[in-house]
Amino acid sequence: MSWNFNKPLVTMCDAATNEADKMLWEKENLGGITEDNHRMPMPVVLLVVLTVLTAFAVTFPLWGQRPNAAIYEGYVKAMNTPEVQAIQDDEAAMKKIVQMNLGGKYDELLERHPLGMNDLRIIKPQIEALMAKGVDLQEYNVVGDRVVLANFEGNVKADGTPERKQPWWDRGYTIDIFYVMYFFTMVIVLIKRLPPSTWQPKHTH
Amino acid sequence: MFKYLFAKNEDIPAGSAAVFFGFSAIIWFVIGTGLGSFNAAKLAFPDFVTGNIYFAFGHMRQVHVMAVIFGWISMAFAMAMMYITPALGNTKLWSEKLGLWNCLLWNLGLTLGLTVLWAGITSGREYSDFPWPVDLYLAFFVFIPLAVNVWMTILNRRTQGIYTTNWFFASAVFMVIIVFLVGNSPEFFHLTGLTEAYLTWWFAHNVLGLWITPVAAAIAYYTIPKVTGNPLYSHRIGHLHFWSVVVFYSTPAAHHLMSAPLPEWLKSFASVEGVLILVPAIAFVSNIMLTMKGKWHMFVENIEVRFTITGCLMAIPLNMQGGFQQTRAINWYIHGTGWIVAHAHLALLGFSTFLEAAAVYLGLQTIMKRKLYSLTLANMHFWLLLIGFTIYWVSMTIAGLIQGAGKIYEVPYIDVVIAEHPYMIARWIGGTLVFTGNILWLYNMWMTARKGTEVPEGRMPHELGYER
Repeated sequence: MSWNFNKPLVTMCDAATNEADKMLWEKENLGGITEDNHRMPMPVVLLVVLTVLTAFAVTFPLWGQRPNAAIYEGYVKAMNTPEVQAIQDDEAAMKKIVQMNLGGKYDELLERHPLGMNDLRIIKPQIEALMAKGVDLQEYNVVGDRVVLANFEGNVKADGTPERKQPWWDRGYTIDIFYVMYFFTMVIVLIKRLPPSTWQPKHTH
Repeated sequence: MFKYLFAKNEDIPAGSAAVFFGFSAIIWFVIGTGLGSFNAAKLAFPDFVTGNIYFAFGHMRQVHVMAVIFGWISMAFAMAMMYITPALGNTKLWSEKLGLWNCLLWNLGLTLGLTVLWAGITSGREYSDFPWPVDLYLAFFVFIPLAVNVWMTILNRRTQGIYTTNWFFASAVFMVIIVFLVGNSPEFFHLTGLTEAYLTWWFAHNVLGLWITPVAAAIAYYTIPKVTGNPLYSHRIGHLHFWSVVVFYSTPAAHHLMSAPLPEWLKSFASVEGVLILVPAIAFVSNIMLTMKGKWHMFVENIEVRFTITGCLMAIPLNMQGGFQQTRAINWYIHGTGWIVAHAHLALLGFSTFLEAAAVYLGLQTIMKRKLYSLTLANMHFWLLLIGFTIYWVSMTIAGLIQGAGKIYEVPYIDVVIAEHPYMIARWIGGTLVFTGNILWLYNMWMTARKGTEVPEGRMPHELGYER
């Protein structure tokens, strides 16, 4: 296997290998099927680049995270207020709780993860227990009827324990960057080992 | 066919295994879609066939899924491999006898597997529902013999190079064995919890990504250049397609479990890879469309080209959906709804079925040297399949969005069921159209074998005009 790095974007093979490849390409009959040697069309290249950029942009770790206990802290506190406790109807009480918490930093997350009074009654004692312990509620996820320690990894606290919050950047992303780089490097090397795309085979059979 | 099972390999006519596989595939397609239509009727009309547990939805759903995946789709693939692999190597199939036994054992194993599923004996793991003895049977008596025949045929080729289609065939039969043995390991080794969940979806994802998707695409790489007579547009794009399937399709299994307590970094990794599935899709669709240059009239005139190009075009919405629906931002809404059922049918009944149907149409005519009996029936098959599938896909996508809203905003379940009812009826109508089309197809191919005009030596069926 001979290499030629004089014009790596044209071909990485030496002239003799390219000539042998061209002869084989034109001579060989693959069950009556032939192939051309067109370059990747520019729109295809651009679409692939756009796909890679989009892949990282739309899967950014902070998009679409699960609800953590902190977003419901306001709801739990509101349940204990006289205004809410005075309301007998669950639906009306829930509306009041939502209204009392409007304008906070968790508005969007609360809209995406709405709760009913029955859900709140189940998670309320669990969140209150965590508040009593003085832990960071953002490190706990609400999964169905349970409030559990989140399984995020990434950042480490000063005391050496892992921070259980969604990091703005994570290990999976880092692996992806290298993975994608290796992939495109190998594919570019592979296709640049072919005869230059300026040459097209003549299909005579 | 059965008389050749004990004949000497050299006495078996070339293409016998492909014909056996081809007709088996169509029959399983009729059975699989018939079961699908029956199951859909049970969702549309809850009082339809009640009182017998063997006709309960829970017993029959996985029988439909497995009949379609391992009966129709996989046997159509085997059919394509049995005649395309040797054709591309200018040689004969390594062993017609192995192919015939392979097909017989495949039919027996699948019948056994579906019977136990119907009886309620199941692993309980979606897409890998067969109990472990059936999994081992399928690995050792179905996929390994198929792989041996494909590999040996490629090794014994009379060409120096290997055409793109055979790259995909050779690697897909290898990958499906690995997927089967590793993906079912929770059953072999009693793995539970998250490990089981992850491997269940690793299996389900890769049966699609490393078996169905690449083989279906490989078929198009053969059908379009062969029937149109055009060279494949770009060998380079073929490389990009092949390697991006292997690299980007094998990794995102975790995106099926975005709400499970898997490590979050694994989900982030899988989610990026999930969008990158668009890379092989772009490569595949562009290469096939550019190969059609100057021959677009065949999209109207030729049934194999029409099926293939329709399947290719479906790869665009399929991968747009697949790429984005798994991201955290969208998955929270549509996960566990009919949207996913619609997407799965877009992959299996849309994209891959149309490509395989072309291969079976072309292959059976070529091997039997008989021109298609009736273009009219084939046209009806095409339109019933396309219209039926479209009704199904659109109705289930809408139903999924309703379910998603119901799930997030805690709408009482029975209200969601009522809201979905019209779409369940549409689903049943769509599925039944597909089933009807397949009965016509079986009749058409049977009549092609019996009464199709003989194709002269040295000619291809698509070179002759249609007669009916």
